[in-house]
Amino acid sequence: MRFLKRAADAFGGLIFVCLFCTFLLQIVARFGFNKPLPWTDELAVILYLWAILWAAAIMVPDREHVVFDLVWNSVNSATRRVMRIVGNLMIGGLALWAIPASWDYVHFMRRESSPVLDISFQWIFLPFVLLLIALVVRSAWAIGEAIRGRGLDVQRTLS
Amino acid sequence: MSLALWALVGVVVAGMLLRMPIGFSMLMAGVAYLIVKGQDLGLVAEQVSNGLYNSYVLLAVPLFVFAANIMNAGTVSERIFDFCRILVGRMRGGLAQVDILVSVIFSGMSGSAIADAAGPGLVTIKQMLKKPEYSPGFAGAVVVASATLGPIIPPSIPMVIYALVSGASVGALFLGGVVPGVCMTILMMCVVHVIARKRNMPREDPIPLREWPNIVFRGALPLSMPIVLLGGIYSGAFTPTEAAAVAALHALVLAAFVFRALSWRAFGAVVLESTRASAVITIILAGSFVLNYAFTSEGVPQAMAAWVDSLGLSRLQFLFMVNALFLILGCFLDVSVLLLVFVPMLLPAAKLLGVDLVHFGVLVVLNMMIGLIHPPFGMLLFVTKALTGIPIGAMMREGWMFLVMLLLLLVAITVFPDIVLWLPRTMGYGTAAPTG
Repeated sequence: MRFLKRAADAFGGLIFVCLFCTFLLQIVARFGFNKPLPWTDELAVILYLWAILWAAAIMVPDREHVVFDLVWNSVNSATRRVMRIVGNLMIGGLALWAIPASWDYVHFMRRESSPVLDISFQWIFLPFVLLLIALVVRSAWAIGEAIRGRGLDVQRTLS
Repeated sequence: MSLALWALVGVVVAGMLLRMPIGFSMLMAGVAYLIVKGQDLGLVAEQVSNGLYNSYVLLAVPLFVFAANIMNAGTVSERIFDFCRILVGRMRGGLAQVDILVSVIFSGMSGSAIADAAGPGLVTIKQMLKKPEYSPGFAGAVVVASATLGPIIPPSIPMVIYALVSGASVGALFLGGVVPGVCMTILMMCVVHVIARKRNMPREDPIPLREWPNIVFRGALPLSMPIVLLGGIYSGAFTPTEAAAVAALHALVLAAFVFRALSWRAFGAVVLESTRASAVITIILAGSFVLNYAFTSEGVPQAMAAWVDSLGLSRLQFLFMVNALFLILGCFLDVSVLLLVFVPMLLPAAKLLGVDLVHFGVLVVLNMMIGLIHPPFGMLLFVTKALTGIPIGAMMREGWMFLVMLLLLLVAITVFPDIVLWLPRTMGYGTAAPTG
């Protein structure tokens, strides 16, 4: 499990580094060789989409997200347990509900591809479906933890 | 309000109150809206994917985050600190003055108030707490107040996001922040000076002249970064997004090869941290695409504009109303939520009244910075408390003068748009035409 998490982190970090390098390449090509590359803008946006949605799905722990915790911090632990279960049921449930239609849309987009690199939009937009699946899994896990009474302490967020 | 819109608002509010991540609550509120409306749920995937795919200017955000994280990892704060000690350390309350100046220079690189407080702010708080003349509350208050300079002085992450939602030019917005930023700096230094004289705070020991060249040299290297960054944008050599990449490269070269303060391991940690931080901002953005889709199809911004119009407000009255609204909301909500959800609702009304979009943007960002240091829930207060253990109450007792000063400046900028617009106009930016 820990190995998987590290591999997922490394994958996200690698996309981020590639994004950075794409920009450097674009600038070097334009100024160094006076030959603007046509595909760098497109690749950068695709890498960005992947990096962000991948990170949001798998890399970012819940405590790093922006949350509103005034209520959470002022109620007792039993109420927090109920809050955690209800909140995750809502988010996880809605995410589950949205998966089939989202996959249909993403799958439908296979007929179109990006203008320069000719990558099918099915692959470009795929991480959104991954995000929904991750939301369902994480919500289920959070509910399980809450039932066992774990992770219900007061946390200060540091964005 | 339609039933579907109630479902949308209900899920967002419920998600927030239940302490679910706000970005995910916004995304799922869009799903709830479409369910009630009976529309295709694939619209959420379409809005988010296409929205992100078409937000090229937003790529500047992860790169600015990356640059700031590299510099925080690479001892840049300490170098600027020594450099500023030469400049203002001999004034009364020298360390507090140094802190303000360090924030000015650092905000020329980072664009985020939180990064500012967590990086150079922490360095100067530690120095101040070593001297008994500086109370912990005062030290915290100075750092918190000066961190608000980060997003006002370019580059600025909130302004990039504002540019995305409003269509105003990033370059003009950055320039628009310069004069207000300088005013804030001067006013803060005056406040510190008054308090320092009253309490007889110490001056810093003079630094021997023969050490000056070395310190100036060490400090000048990081100082080259804002010059590269802003010079690149305003000479037209780079787009703001490319400039952000160049800034990150510049920081990387300095930290890894010149200062030799960045190991491979630290670099890996910086990359992961930057990826996560960018995702946290962008998920809220993705949620706002969905929310704004729903708001637009329900005609909410137009209804807002019509409502404001029916009030018969003058431009100034409208701006003061926006100020009041944002100061209150800023106490509860994150900067990115305000920018991405509330600003688009107000933009049609602002355009209708002929408000300049660059002026409006700088005003909104300044409002949100005040929200960050405003009791009871200012984010910067919490960050500083978490990093230093200084109680929030103590910071507030010492910080009210800064708050009053910022509010006065806000009023001045509201009444006199030229404070913001003079520099962009002088530099040849035709700021956004105030048409509907």
